[in-house]
Amino acid sequence: MDTFRLRVIAPDRIIFDSRAAEVILATNTGLVGILPNHAPLLTGLDIGILKIRTNELWSVVAVMGGFAMVHDNDITILVNEAENAKEINLQEAQEIFQLTQTKVSQADGRKENIEANLNLKRAKARLDAIQEGIKEGTAS
Amino acid sequence: MAASIACGSSLQMATFEGLSARSLGLRGAEPAGSVELATGRSAARRDGRGRSVVTAGLKDLRDRIATVKNTQKITDAMKLVAAAKVRRAQEAVVNGRPFSENLVKVLYNVNEQISTEDIDIPLTTVRPVKKIALVVITGDRGLCGGFNNYVLKKAEKRMAEIRNMGIDLTVVSIGKKGNSYFKRRPAIPVDRFLDAGNAPTTKEAQAVADELFSLFVSEEVDKVELLYTRFVSLIKSDPIIHTLLPLSPQGEVCDISGNCVDAADDEMFRLTTKDGKFSVERETIRTETVDFAGVLTFEQEPVQILDALLPLYLNSQILRALQESIASELAARMNAMSNASDNASDLKKSLSVSYNRQRQAKITGEILEIVAGSTVTI
Repeated sequence: MDTFRLRVIAPDRIIFDSRAAEVILATNTGLVGILPNHAPLLTGLDIGILKIRTNELWSVVAVMGGFAMVHDNDITILVNEAENAKEINLQEAQEIFQLTQTKVSQADGRKENIEANLNLKRAKARLDAIQEGIKEGTAS
Repeated sequence: MAASIACGSSLQMATFEGLSARSLGLRGAEPAGSVELATGRSAARRDGRGRSVVTAGLKDLRDRIATVKNTQKITDAMKLVAAAKVRRAQEAVVNGRPFSENLVKVLYNVNEQISTEDIDIPLTTVRPVKKIALVVITGDRGLCGGFNNYVLKKAEKRMAEIRNMGIDLTVVSIGKKGNSYFKRRPAIPVDRFLDAGNAPTTKEAQAVADELFSLFVSEEVDKVELLYTRFVSLIKSDPIIHTLLPLSPQGEVCDISGNCVDAADDEMFRLTTKDGKFSVERETIRTETVDFAGVLTFEQEPVQILDALLPLYLNSQILRALQESIASELAARMNAMSNASDNASDLKKSLSVSYNRQRQAKITGEILEIVAGSTVTI
């Protein structure tokens, strides 16, 4: 089967280093799907979800911003932090999401606003990841 | 020849066959009743050779020797544990290399596509400086010699400099030791207290980065300086101050005097052994910056991509500072514990000498008594 090498790297560890058949990135200009032998590409990533397909199974990972580089059937993705949907608890993610929403409405001042919005985006990414993971059947 | 012997436990001026107690190598002129001390009071004096000598009961000396031995075992163990943890800290730095290598390569290429006038990214904005945030990284635990003190002293020095320039200041304190220091000084405005932890991960670095990002982008502060201890040598501990924000678009790392280092030059520390002793080596690794811009399509505008890259760069800088700080703290602890072990060893030696002297004096005293007793009966 046609695959490409995929590496997902965080500042302190390598999160994924294996071969994959397809990957869907959430860029700040929309969703981008990458298949084997894709043209060389460099794109920034938003705080959102990353989907990796290996052997017909989709894994879902929540990523906190970064970038992706596609070159010569080798994809390198650098992220600030990533969390596999398998390790996320649905209820906890929902609670945290609601908490961050209230924090945003309570935020006072520019600095608190920026912080609260960042946290909201991250909580949303985690929630989306676990919900997507449940849909794909690779997380519970 | 009459032997003039003083009976009883005191050896005051005892002579035996013309030899004085002192010539027999016994300590003379002991205060009466001090040989068997029930309460364990002890006094330190100088003996004939000028060495500090401890006077105490035999049992107490034995107890003290046992205590010192135990303490030495503990300090020895702590030294080895710290050494093992330094190796782990090293591995953490090595694990961070794939990230920083790839980041630098892309940073270089993206910058090639941008002219300096186009850049309008919040993290790189240079503004007139009205307020500075000083991030101070200390440790969580003590028993590490002067490590935390050096950092805090340097922090005070920098804060005085900043105030003298008429610039406002706030502190972000990382590490329990720094936290308690600043909590005791409410005059110093502190923005946030964070704990350092044992092994900094990207989560901790992200928490710090969030705080600094929001402080800087909201324009509450115009400059962020990072004060931490680089792991340079096992003996010396020299905290340095880096300008963290605003970032340079090329990812240069500058200290406050303006000396800048290229982003592609990465320095890694290594704990090795030299001549049977631990030593620290630093090696500079230069990342090859291959120009691949002609080949890669940029999905977004180069400036947008740079906007996504720079927070990653901020994160990795903070993480590296945390890692270096932990390694320096562990090295300082190794040193402190090594000194403590040596001191314990010396103390044990002098206590043993004192103990043996007293023991021998006691035996000789008893022998003299017996001899005196037998002389009388003849």
